[in-house]
Amino acid sequence: MKGSEPLEMINSKDRITTPQTTIVVTNFILGTGILTLPRAAAEKVKTPDIWLTVILGGIIAMIAGVIMVKLSQQFPERTFYQYSQEIVGKWMGKLFSFLMIGYFLTLGGFHARSLAEVTGYLLLEGTPKWAIIMPFMWASLYLIRGGINPIARIFEIIFPITVILFLLVAFMSIKIFEVDNLRPVLGSGITPVLKGIKTTALAFTGPEIMLLILAFMKEPNKAGKAVLVGITIPLFIYVITVVMVIGALSVDGVVTRTWPTLDLIRSFELTGLIFERFDSLLLVVWIMQMFTSFTINHYAASLGLSQLFQKDIHPFMYGLLPIFYLISMIPKNINDVFKLGDMVGNVALVLFGFLPLLLLIISKIKGRKYETNL
Amino acid sequence: MKQTYNHYVQFLLVLLSVLLLFPLTGCWSSHEIEEQSLGVGVAYDKAKESMIEKELDEQGEGYAKKNLVTSTYQLITPQVASSTTKQGGPQQKSYVNVSETGDSPFQMVRELSLRSDTPFTGYHMKVIVIGEALARSYSLEQLVDQNLRDNDFRPSCLVLISKGRASSTLESTTAGEVPAFHLYGMVDNTYRTTRILPPMSLIKLASKIQSGSSFLLQNVLSANGEIKFAGAAVIKGKTGRMIGFLNEEELEGVTWITGKGKGGLVKSFDKKTGQLIVYEIESMKSHIKPLVKGNSISFDVYIESEGRLSENWMISGSPLENQFLQKAQKTSEKEVKHLVRNVVEKMQKEYKVDVAGFGNQLRIKKPRVWMRVKDNWDQTFSEVPINYHVKLTIKDYGTSASKK
Amino acid sequence: MKMKKWKSKIRKIGKPTDENENKQESASQASTNQFTDDFTLNLEVVRKELGHNWDVHFRDFIIGRTGIEACIVFVEGLSDKDLIDKHIMTSLMADFSAEYQQEEPYVKESLSNQFIKNQVLSISDVEEVHSIKELASKVLTGSTALLIDGLSHAFILGTTKLKTRTIEEPVSEALVRGPRVGFTESLSDNTSLLRGSGDIENLSLVKFQVGKRSKKDLVVAYINEIVDPELVKEVEKRIKKIDLDNVPESGYVEQLIEDNYLSPFPQVQNTERPDRVIAALMEGRVAILLDGTPFALIAPVTFSMMLQSPEDYYERWIPGTFIRFLRYIAVVLSLFTPAVYIAFISFHPGLIPTKLAISIIGTRSGVPFPALIEALFMEVAIEILREAGLRLPKPIGPAMGIVGGLIIGEAAVQAGIVSPILVIVVALTAISSFAIPQYSVGITLRILRFVAMLCAAILGLYGVVLFFLFMMSHLVKLKSFGVPYMSPAVPYRLSEWKDLMVRMPLMMMKRRPKMMHTKDPLRKG
Repeated sequence: MKGSEPLEMINSKDRITTPQTTIVVTNFILGTGILTLPRAAAEKVKTPDIWLTVILGGIIAMIAGVIMVKLSQQFPERTFYQYSQEIVGKWMGKLFSFLMIGYFLTLGGFHARSLAEVTGYLLLEGTPKWAIIMPFMWASLYLIRGGINPIARIFEIIFPITVILFLLVAFMSIKIFEVDNLRPVLGSGITPVLKGIKTTALAFTGPEIMLLILAFMKEPNKAGKAVLVGITIPLFIYVITVVMVIGALSVDGVVTRTWPTLDLIRSFELTGLIFERFDSLLLVVWIMQMFTSFTINHYAASLGLSQLFQKDIHPFMYGLLPIFYLISMIPKNINDVFKLGDMVGNVALVLFGFLPLLLLIISKIKGRKYETNL
Repeated sequence: MKQTYNHYVQFLLVLLSVLLLFPLTGCWSSHEIEEQSLGVGVAYDKAKESMIEKELDEQGEGYAKKNLVTSTYQLITPQVASSTTKQGGPQQKSYVNVSETGDSPFQMVRELSLRSDTPFTGYHMKVIVIGEALARSYSLEQLVDQNLRDNDFRPSCLVLISKGRASSTLESTTAGEVPAFHLYGMVDNTYRTTRILPPMSLIKLASKIQSGSSFLLQNVLSANGEIKFAGAAVIKGKTGRMIGFLNEEELEGVTWITGKGKGGLVKSFDKKTGQLIVYEIESMKSHIKPLVKGNSISFDVYIESEGRLSENWMISGSPLENQFLQKAQKTSEKEVKHLVRNVVEKMQKEYKVDVAGFGNQLRIKKPRVWMRVKDNWDQTFSEVPINYHVKLTIKDYGTSASKK
Repeated sequence: MKMKKWKSKIRKIGKPTDENENKQESASQASTNQFTDDFTLNLEVVRKELGHNWDVHFRDFIIGRTGIEACIVFVEGLSDKDLIDKHIMTSLMADFSAEYQQEEPYVKESLSNQFIKNQVLSISDVEEVHSIKELASKVLTGSTALLIDGLSHAFILGTTKLKTRTIEEPVSEALVRGPRVGFTESLSDNTSLLRGSGDIENLSLVKFQVGKRSKKDLVVAYINEIVDPELVKEVEKRIKKIDLDNVPESGYVEQLIEDNYLSPFPQVQNTERPDRVIAALMEGRVAILLDGTPFALIAPVTFSMMLQSPEDYYERWIPGTFIRFLRYIAVVLSLFTPAVYIAFISFHPGLIPTKLAISIIGTRSGVPFPALIEALFMEVAIEILREAGLRLPKPIGPAMGIVGGLIIGEAAVQAGIVSPILVIVVALTAISSFAIPQYSVGITLRILRFVAMLCAAILGLYGVVLFFLFMMSHLVKLKSFGVPYMSPAVPYRLSEWKDLMVRMPLMMMKRRPKMMHTKDPLRKG
């Protein structure tokens, strides 16, 4: 009973709607990017045209997302872990799945660590990192025990809160916004813009979750639309972020700040409004976003392990907690944390940029093979 | 069966979390607000130990330090806070100034914890005032580095320069007034006068320093517990040090060039009669156009403003006649041109820096040229010809019309 | 200790013969519990069973002019004396012979129960029972038993008349605008209220009985054409599972049929108002009424329902929307204000406006306690006050609340135990929690507020966020009879948001909620 149960049980009872899929993708994408993207991009691009780079990066992510959707749509009701073995054979498929699980694990640890860093720096100085990370992980565990549906639902609740607070905060920074900091547009031509595409595209890592989520969708044929919308929303948010941050701090200012978006919020005060200082709002939003990203990582990794080993998912959910914790503790200082993020990003590029395309081609060829055989 | 399993585990989880919470009441970061002093202003001066410090030093047990900087912290201690809120009357002093001398601002702040039971927190820091002597000797970048790096001071904190000792700007003889708030509030007066710079917050300072361009910082004078915003200090981009002052008039000229003024006046004297005419600014706009011909760069500055005639000491002539208004306009325009020319001369000849944003406009309008010249812009700028076109429009003259 | 146990066990074993004998006797008695032809024996059995009760009365009489003996047994106070005197006794004693003589000739044997039942007894509710146990249970609930010489069974005549309240506005759910009608303790009154308010097509009232020793009538109400049959099945299944001696109040039913008893949130709604019940039935929900309590249950329930009041619909949509918004704000305030206060004061003084920070420091200088203790102190005091206010007699209650709150707050500030800002915070919280229409949720929020305060005291604002995430995770997993608790907010279905935080004009609310999987999606017209 227990062995074969998890696969069917998860897939038949837990269905998510198309809007839910979109929200899941959006929430997964929005993470540390909001805080570090302006600096990371400005370092590469060096001109105020970063917003163009962001848009281009988003488009690339959309292309990758659509490829992944098309791949998964070939195998309805099955997650990547299950169908990868069909395409390239048992061992290769398992290898790929392991790589993906490893990716999710590392990314999760990275998220947890980033959260601890920022929270520890701005909110809770003096609190040891484990006290910040552990309750966070327990909350994630509590949530994902319910399967994909509660995850999608809580994302749907968090999403409007995030958007509203974020927009509020972004528009308040108009007070210190200077258009001149964004000009000239394309002053040095298009080359600098292209230099930063890799960085910005990596800020959009998230659609790879479609490889798993499609199996849970009520209407999998709408997955393509879901992914596109799911990337567009973070695109807007990132563009607004970049525009506001650079507008207020200028390109030169941005490269010197570790967390430029936070500095943006902390650099103005609206005397008279209830909170004068709105960094609390942004931090609340950001913590919730990190929570969403982390829970997806947690769930994806647990799902992968459970489907690979054909066992019930719950023990994996519990068992992965210490692993996440250990990974989050690996970087020794903040530079290492950023390096970890970069490394994960590079892996993502290969794993979700090239691999799905490759697999799609292989599966199409195989499909044709069967047709010709028949 | 799964239901009971779920409930059992749920219950365990809940119990576990509750139990684990108890040892966590170590609450590492919990510091009650009334146990801390709010630092609201800080002044950095060239080292001069205060009486108390000297005495403490004499008693020995000090620490190795070079006396480079004296920081004066303006604190709102719990005692001060409670006295102002409870008694209400502004008889008491509403702040406390504490000085420390040393070589590292961060260390000095922490030294305060050796002297007070309510440690210093910088979340509510409003102003940083840097003394002239210090600004001339050290790069601003070094001076404010700690504040930018640490999470204590908010990047919204304002930076000002003071002529003379900065610590005296943090003194006030007016009862109930906290100098830091006073200073902070005054930058809001830009809508009343063109002689105040737009506020320079820490974060903008960081951007400016990073970009390497020269800029201005508001200057504060102090005398007998009173303060005044007077002119600006010129900071050279390359070194980050102060190289001089612009007086109030010159600062006015800069405001006209940048077009960032929101209010104020132009005082001029009629050529023929020598009488006073005052034009009140309601709005101003300025447009700097860089012209590049080959290797030579020049600028055209177009300044426009609309306002009203607000003071007229002319005995003859009636504002009801357009002719009179035209004359007044011309006089005021001439005055503005004079202000602007003056300050540009000072920038180019005396200080050899560009603090009015010419370089910025060049960067925006002609980026490729900017790439070429930006490394040595200050030097290049001092030889660049600038033309001015000023147009003022007097829209009305208030409620007092003709004279005779 | 162990020896005693052994001894008693042995004693029990030693008694088997006695017990067996008793069992046999009762077995035979059980078979003889059936009434026989012997009238005297029957009567004796009845007297043995019920005669010792003070309020059970036996009235022997002769039927008409036949000379046949009969006896009625009834409970004083529970049975309708009027009915007994005017209809039972009269039809059997006075009017009997007239009809009878028109029929067959006077013969004892031909006195059939058909005749009695069909032509004599002018009562609407007539049943026949054959055993003493049935008779006893019926008589003890107010019916009258009629034993006639020659008939081997007894008639049970429905004469129950409980003393009930008049219908008045429910105390716990008073509205400014709306019918001033509330349920009473009598099940028949309540069901009549449901049926009586307009001719509801297809309103089904299905009867159950709960409680093993104190059998209570329970009615499950639903509108046949609208409701999802799966839901009805589930409700009935859970009700049948109830296995208790006594089910005094619908609260017991609620606790026994809800999905998750560990959750602090109620998954079944209770209400005293028929208009709420009818509205719910129209949406495809199921209502449960229990005899003996005016509180009806509505299932399934979602979080948004807890924050709705029928008034939202009776007023126009703009005020309705505004008031609903206000309620949501009140919920947030009542839950998070003290926690946020603690977080800011103890952890993040940098996040409050400077002037406020200074005044807080000033007023808190003399306070010896950290923010958490201060807040806990005041909150607990308010909670105790509130509970006390409920128990005090009506004239003193409200005054006590106001006086207590004011005085304690003032005195505490003067004594320097709490800061005035905290008093404002606590007052705000208390007032906000009164704005919540559903009392059960109000209690839940009060409890959660304390948890939030604890979380804030440990990890500051981060703790509050974590608490929020935990609570949301719980709410999002919670289901009430298969309907996710957080519908209609999630999953996103735009059409369902017309009734969530705003109240769209009536013209726009034509469809029933999709989450209920109703059979008939349109609200007619």
